[in-house]
Amino acid sequence: MQKSLRPVLLLIFFLVVGLATFVFAQEARLLSMLPEGSSSDYYHTLIGIITGEWQGYGQLFTTLQGQWFWKAFLIIITAVPGIFLLHYLIVGAKHFDHDGDQVFFFPRYTRVVHFFAAVSFSLLALTGLMMVLGAYLGGGALIRFARYVHIGAAMVFVLPAVLMLLMWFKDMLPQLHDISWMFMLGGYLSKEKKPVPAGKYNAGQKMYFWLATVGGVVMAYTGYIIWGMGTTNLDTVILYTIIHNVLGMVTLAFYFTHVYMVAFAIAGALDSMKTGYKCKEEVDILHSRYKY
Amino acid sequence: MRIEEEDMATVKFLCDVERCIDCGGCVVACKEGHHVPVGVNRRRVITLKQGEPGEKSISVSCMHCADAPCIAVCPVDAIYQRTDGIVLVSKKTCIGCGYCFMACPFGAPQFPAGNVFGARGAMDKCTFCAGGPEENFSAEEKKLYGQNRIAEGKVPLCSGMCATKALLAGDADVVADVYRERVFKRGSGVNAWGWSRAYQK
Repeated sequence: MQKSLRPVLLLIFFLVVGLATFVFAQEARLLSMLPEGSSSDYYHTLIGIITGEWQGYGQLFTTLQGQWFWKAFLIIITAVPGIFLLHYLIVGAKHFDHDGDQVFFFPRYTRVVHFFAAVSFSLLALTGLMMVLGAYLGGGALIRFARYVHIGAAMVFVLPAVLMLLMWFKDMLPQLHDISWMFMLGGYLSKEKKPVPAGKYNAGQKMYFWLATVGGVVMAYTGYIIWGMGTTNLDTVILYTIIHNVLGMVTLAFYFTHVYMVAFAIAGALDSMKTGYKCKEEVDILHSRYKY
Repeated sequence: MRIEEEDMATVKFLCDVERCIDCGGCVVACKEGHHVPVGVNRRRVITLKQGEPGEKSISVSCMHCADAPCIAVCPVDAIYQRTDGIVLVSKKTCIGCGYCFMACPFGAPQFPAGNVFGARGAMDKCTFCAGGPEENFSAEEKKLYGQNRIAEGKVPLCSGMCATKALLAGDADVVADVYRERVFKRGSGVNAWGWSRAYQK
């Protein structure tokens, strides 16, 4: 039976190859006939007029927003808290003597500014995430509301961000000992109470500070352009959207870190932002270079 | 002949640039037929090399791309593609973020003004006259998306209205055949009858 099939198969093979060659030849002939000023040329010029050089930012944005941004955000909101959970279970929280001497750390003005920044920033992070992962929440009225809250919170956040930049500018300038702080990850990998090289603020707090204030200004400006679009060149809007998303990811990771530190890693740390007092032992260990 | 969604291949728009005379009939037909609000243009005619030899006009709207970038970037999955290739938006799901406008190579997505802090409203674009996700011929569909001529078995308003039959719409194979026949008869680009042939430019 196989023998009788062979000539048929051979014939089919030759037919297919012949047809393919013919089609390719036809297509090549047609393509060579297409002169300059063909419809595709017009479309190319046209797209240049409507949306700029789409192949550049348009393609990049489509790939990033379509495939990478939501995945990156998803990883950040699962991996970062996951790592902290492991840290909490393995290393655990640092406990300091809260009944001993207290050091006055945060004046009332600082605490009020920080409070407004904390509330508005938390809203920004939450509503931003809701938008990025809006497909899982079904979109519609809920996510539209999140957008309105996002811009409202952004307007509120700008003021405390500027005030924080002014009041903490000097304390937050990088110093040499910050490098050694980073190499030992602030001493958070062990429960040992060994003085850590840090002034009033440690290197982690400094990084978060610069991200939230200077980065916040960048986020506010790019966000303002994305919100309005209007007369801004579309390539610029696309670029700003990419910056807004990427900077958002980094800031979000630091936000989680900040929340974990005050709420879990250092027992009772949240109280210092409410009362203004830190216990002396904590300051001596975690901010060993701070002269109070 | 009634066109059913199932037995139709893929739909396409094709604007024959040798025929388009920038009359704006397609734009008016679309705007009037669907009661599109002021400031929103589902279709427009763009003229290249205006006033110079080789002037050409093209009518553009949503191209209903095979691999639509707008669908890829939409954060709330408000945009979807029917089996016949028509790309539609659910205005009830859309949050007006504008990402589709950033991703679209043709500038098709349009945004009416919203009501909070000058926010954009839900995205509006060419529906290929196929309405939206609401029930066919419902008042809701008509209000949000305009007429549903595809469900009636008619071609989109713009191409039906086109005086020179420059704007072709429908089954991709049929559209391609019509266009190919035209090109074989009269050539295209600089080989087409017109300025270049007349003045040897």
